[in-house]
Amino acid sequence: MNREPILQVKDLKTYFYTEDGIVKAVDGVSFELYQGETLGIVGESGSGKSVTSLTIMRLLDEKARIEGGEVIFKGKELLKLSEEEMRKIRGNDIAMIFQEPMVALNPVYTIGDQIMEAIILHQKVKESEARKIAIDLLRKVGIPEPEKRVDQYPHQLSGGMRQRAMIAMALSCRPQILIADEPTTALDVTIQAQILELMKELQREYGMALIMITHDMGVIAETADRVAVMYAGKVVEYGTVDEIFKKPKHPYTYALLSSIPRLDVEKQELKSIPGTVPDPLNFPPGCRFHPRCDFAKEECKNIDPELVEVSPGHYTACPFYKVLEGVEVK
Amino acid sequence: MEKKAVIKIDNLVKHFPIRAGVFKRIVGWVKAVDGVSFEVYEGETLGLVGESGCGKTTVGMTLLRLYEPTSGRIIFNDEDTTHYFMNYLKARSYVKRTYIDRFEQLKIDKGAKALDELEGVDRKYYKIFMENGAAGLHKYLLSNLEEKRKQFRQNVQIVFQDPYSSLDPRMRIKNIVAEGVLAHKLVEKSKINDFVGKTLEDVGIISAYMFRFPHEFSGGQRQRIGMARALAMQPKVVIADEAVAALDVSIRSQIINLMEELQDKHRLTYIFISHDLAVVKHISDRVAVMYLGKMVEMASKKELFEDPLHPYTVSLMSAIPIPDPAKKRKKRIILKGDVPSPINPPSGCRFHTRCPVAKPICKEKEPPLVEVKPGHFVACHFPGSLKWKA
Ligand SMILES: Nc1ncnc2c1ncn2[C@@H]1O[C@H](COP(=O)(O)OP(=O)(O)OP(=O)(O)O)[C@@H](O)[C@H]1O
Ligand SMILES: Nc1ncnc2c1ncn2[C@@H]1O[C@H](COP(=O)(O)OP(=O)(O)O)[C@@H](O)[C@H]1O
Ligand code: SF4
Ligand code: SF4
Ligand SMILES: [Mg+2]
Ligand SMILES: [Mg+2]
Repeated sequence: MNREPILQVKDLKTYFYTEDGIVKAVDGVSFELYQGETLGIVGESGSGKSVTSLTIMRLLDEKARIEGGEVIFKGKELLKLSEEEMRKIRGNDIAMIFQEPMVALNPVYTIGDQIMEAIILHQKVKESEARKIAIDLLRKVGIPEPEKRVDQYPHQLSGGMRQRAMIAMALSCRPQILIADEPTTALDVTIQAQILELMKELQREYGMALIMITHDMGVIAETADRVAVMYAGKVVEYGTVDEIFKKPKHPYTYALLSSIPRLDVEKQELKSIPGTVPDPLNFPPGCRFHPRCDFAKEECKNIDPELVEVSPGHYTACPFYKVLEGVEVK
Repeated sequence: MEKKAVIKIDNLVKHFPIRAGVFKRIVGWVKAVDGVSFEVYEGETLGLVGESGCGKTTVGMTLLRLYEPTSGRIIFNDEDTTHYFMNYLKARSYVKRTYIDRFEQLKIDKGAKALDELEGVDRKYYKIFMENGAAGLHKYLLSNLEEKRKQFRQNVQIVFQDPYSSLDPRMRIKNIVAEGVLAHKLVEKSKINDFVGKTLEDVGIISAYMFRFPHEFSGGQRQRIGMARALAMQPKVVIADEAVAALDVSIRSQIINLMEELQDKHRLTYIFISHDLAVVKHISDRVAVMYLGKMVEMASKKELFEDPLHPYTVSLMSAIPIPDPAKKRKKRIILKGDVPSPINPPSGCRFHTRCPVAKPICKEKEPPLVEVKPGHFVACHFPGSLKWKA
């Protein structure tokens, strides 16, 4: 790929200093995002997906410390910007939507007020004009009777409609990047299908780049162009969606794909991944996947595998990835 | 071989009152379950699937008698158990209304010949009625209710979704697993440690951990402990309500595999409640699909996934993202709008407000659940009219 990435994340590290110890939530995460594409970030709970996106947005709380790394947006180093400059970026260039819109929406203001506030702040228009834009946006995201809904409060909307309202709010400033953190996890599948379809349409229309964060391999396959697989605070595999699903080059990705039941394929038996999701206060030494890895060798306990490009655009953090050659995803 | 139904639910209804105002007057009803019938055969897994709020949990909770049914019958092991958990007066009135009055009339109309048109418990009870009279049936159904309750409680167990809140945080694992067993006197007190240890090993927990507390375990391990607690009672039926939904993907397959293994080992019958059609497809022998308090389709797994006939089932299948990027360009069926409220469900077919193939009659007339092929039941005026293939 010879295009310039719109966003570059380099060796990002974000730790939390808690009473129980240091949580190395994000511990060496790198990826690029290109204009108009969708990058999927997939991983289990606690793998560091949300903290990665909150670090990019600089929305972390006091317990968090960014220990290292760079976030470069169109040549600008976001981690070095003042809070004031960062606020402008958040409003105009990079927007974010969350799993539970109820948390992000303010319960005491109407949907309309919240969207209008964003519009007035960033587009310098009058209130009456902002209201019109808000209603148009609500219509655009598929909310029925937007003239009525604009004056309703978040709790008066269903989960799916709240998520639509949040998308409307995120789009109000026509961002170049939208980060969606588990945007459909709390929704029913038929509503999830609606929201994913809507996001696809809007992405095409606005030409946005999208970071889609999810734990659902189905959603990744459906939406992403390229994928970063996270495990225990690190990106363990990174490549195009076709490569990741057809020729995984990390034992974790391979095991994950083999362990999910599928609607379109009859699996006699699901692969069992032994052990538990690692405790972030106490990540295993060496390759963090080694206690659960089918292919682990003695030396895996001592190495700290780097993400290495093993074929064009395909990266893995397993030096022994060749054991997967010719192994079918079951 | 004739399959034996362990559990049979007959036209189950559960409505919850909505109260408002200072006097907490009832101002309406949530029709959570509105006439659902199914059988579960010995040793099989029946999957119960549908979107949130469609009534899956309510079916499970009512079946377990943690809710009293509004109406309908719950038959377990060829006995009507509906009245077991009512107070005596209510139970008596239930037995009179459901059996004695009806049988008196049948006897006058048809006498012994009525037996030919009755089946299941109706037939069994009518026989008793003919042989021992109303008083005999009365006694048969209403004596030893205490003992019958106990047996039912032992035989039907549940495993919940949330491994965090379903285990008492102040109790050691040993006591969590032993509690019901000791209360039901299934194992002598002197042998309880051995018994708990063996049960824990059965679900993959080291027996030495029995003195630990729930917070010392991960989500997947807690779900194993939930299974151990249920298994310890040596039940016939286990209801698993979203038992793997809260688990991480890599842990989910462990628990699914464990459940299948335990089923074979102990000849368990499962009712597997889930919103996840792919998981249901993997684990079930038969699948029932619910929408807004109604069952819309039920068939063997193979039949349901090869030839889904209800437009809602088809839409649900089409909505599920498939973990194969080669299939992403396939056009999906996108249903319009939200699931309507169960307080005022749509008239006629409850799915008509979102159904892509609805016709005028769908709004007027409620489609009954009909057996369209052997063992394949559908509630739709136009079964098979919506097509989609993954
Ligand atoms: N504010 C915080 N204070 C302390 N620890 C935190 C905080 N936020 C996140 N963490 C910890 O950081 C780790 C990674 O969290 P993160 O939310 O990024 O994971 P995730 O992969 O998105 O998980 P999930 O899928 O559960 O949301 C977790 O162990 C989490 O407990
Ligand atoms: N205790 C209750 N009181 C009032 N309404 C209830 C109660 N329990 C469930 N409901 C309602 O009944 C419907 C079905 O709920 P439930 O069976 O829990 O759905 P599911 O398990 O499929 O998500 C929902 O509309 C729900 O809000
Ligand atoms: S480095 Fe070793 S333990 Fe880690 S994924 Fe590769 S083979 Fe497995
Ligand atoms: S009865 Fe009518 S509305 Fe209901 S599912 Fe069938 S076609 Fe659709
Ligand atoms: Mg998260
Ligand atoms: Mg439920």
